[in-house]
Amino acid sequence: MIDKVYILKNGLLEQYLLGELSPNEELQVELVLNMDSDLKIELETLEANFEKMALENAIIPPKKAKVELIQKIKSNQPKIIPIQKNNFYKTYLFAVSSIAACLLIGSIFMFNQLNNSKKQLQVAEDQKELLKRDIEGLKTNLEYTSRYFEIINSPETKQYILTGNTLAPTAKIVSYVNHKNKSVIINTKQLPKLDKDHDYQMWADVNGEMINMGVIDKENQLLAMQYVDAAESLNITIEPAGGNDHPTVSRLLTNVYLN
Amino acid sequence: MQNDKVLLLQLQNKDEAALSALYDNYSGAIYGVILRMCKDEQHAQNLLQDTFLTIWEKAYQYNPEKGKFYTWAYRIAKNKTLNFLRQSQNLIQTEDLSVYTNKQENLIVEPEFLKLNGCLKQLDLHHQKAIELVYFQGLTHKEAHLEMEVPLGTFKSYIKQALKKLQLSYEKAVVWLLIFIDLIR
Repeated sequence: MIDKVYILKNGLLEQYLLGELSPNEELQVELVLNMDSDLKIELETLEANFEKMALENAIIPPKKAKVELIQKIKSNQPKIIPIQKNNFYKTYLFAVSSIAACLLIGSIFMFNQLNNSKKQLQVAEDQKELLKRDIEGLKTNLEYTSRYFEIINSPETKQYILTGNTLAPTAKIVSYVNHKNKSVIINTKQLPKLDKDHDYQMWADVNGEMINMGVIDKENQLLAMQYVDAAESLNITIEPAGGNDHPTVSRLLTNVYLN
Repeated sequence: MQNDKVLLLQLQNKDEAALSALYDNYSGAIYGVILRMCKDEQHAQNLLQDTFLTIWEKAYQYNPEKGKFYTWAYRIAKNKTLNFLRQSQNLIQTEDLSVYTNKQENLIVEPEFLKLNGCLKQLDLHHQKAIELVYFQGLTHKEAHLEMEVPLGTFKSYIKQALKKLQLSYEKAVVWLLIFIDLIR
């Protein structure tokens, strides 16, 4: 246990002053010093004498030592490490944030690209669907056309031309009748256009009775009509849109006798 | 010194003028210690600069409650010089043994300016020697009593008696100074 008596007896104050004590001993001496003002005064006297003795024994160093010291301090001044550290951190932060910004911009760009690609893919899908439908339509058309062509070209098919009367002097319909296949196909290319409230309708004359062969479709040039057995003539009238049960004779456009 | 307090506050605020003033006040005393310890002017000057650089850089560590500025500076200087001496001794011993004998010779030939001055000279020789070993050679009490070939207890009482006598002579000096000042008036 270090106390005042021990300190004085063992000359610990002198050793404390000279920095000879271990950190632990130093701490204990300081504790006693804080509590004992006499001892504190003793130490202060020792310290004052110590300083006087040192000043009495001073040796003045050459002037250049001070000049060099001040130079060293001045040259050390700008090299304060925290500033470099700061700079380092700033550069580091700048680099990191740049990379982050690049990544973010890149991600947004990629995301947009992805969306665009998705949209384009959707468009391509839709177009593919449309093309598929077109092809199917074309196929159906081809089938019909092939069948018409077959019928028209058949040696059994007979061709009748219906020329328009005074109601429609320019009208000209070509009809192909195949009695073997029981089919009738007409070409309406030179039939004048009608308004939307009226349609052309075709009739077959069987023993003085007019049998409906069907309404002529305005869209198609080449179309198949209903075949009627034992027809004596083919007739075309103008009827209200959608067709009529009986032909309006006053509006008969053209007729041709089948022989 | 009272204005040391102000100077030290300024030093802690990195005021170069404060360092310059403290250097002017204390460099002689510190250089006296360093030079007596290492006995080489060039090394002593480097160590002195080094000491003041540390004082400049570590000024915030100085606590005026614990002691005077000189005591703090003295400890820094002593530690630096002892470290330096240990290192150079290691170098000499490991690198070239022949230099060792030269060093011994150097120790014997002490320049005149290294002799102790002031009130110390009024002390008995063995008291002077004791003070010199611990204050100006940087030896610890334990090393110094071996050097003087006396028991540790005896050595400690040498130091105590020496300091007491010094104290008396400083008091006398103050009295003489006061009388002197009185006479001038």
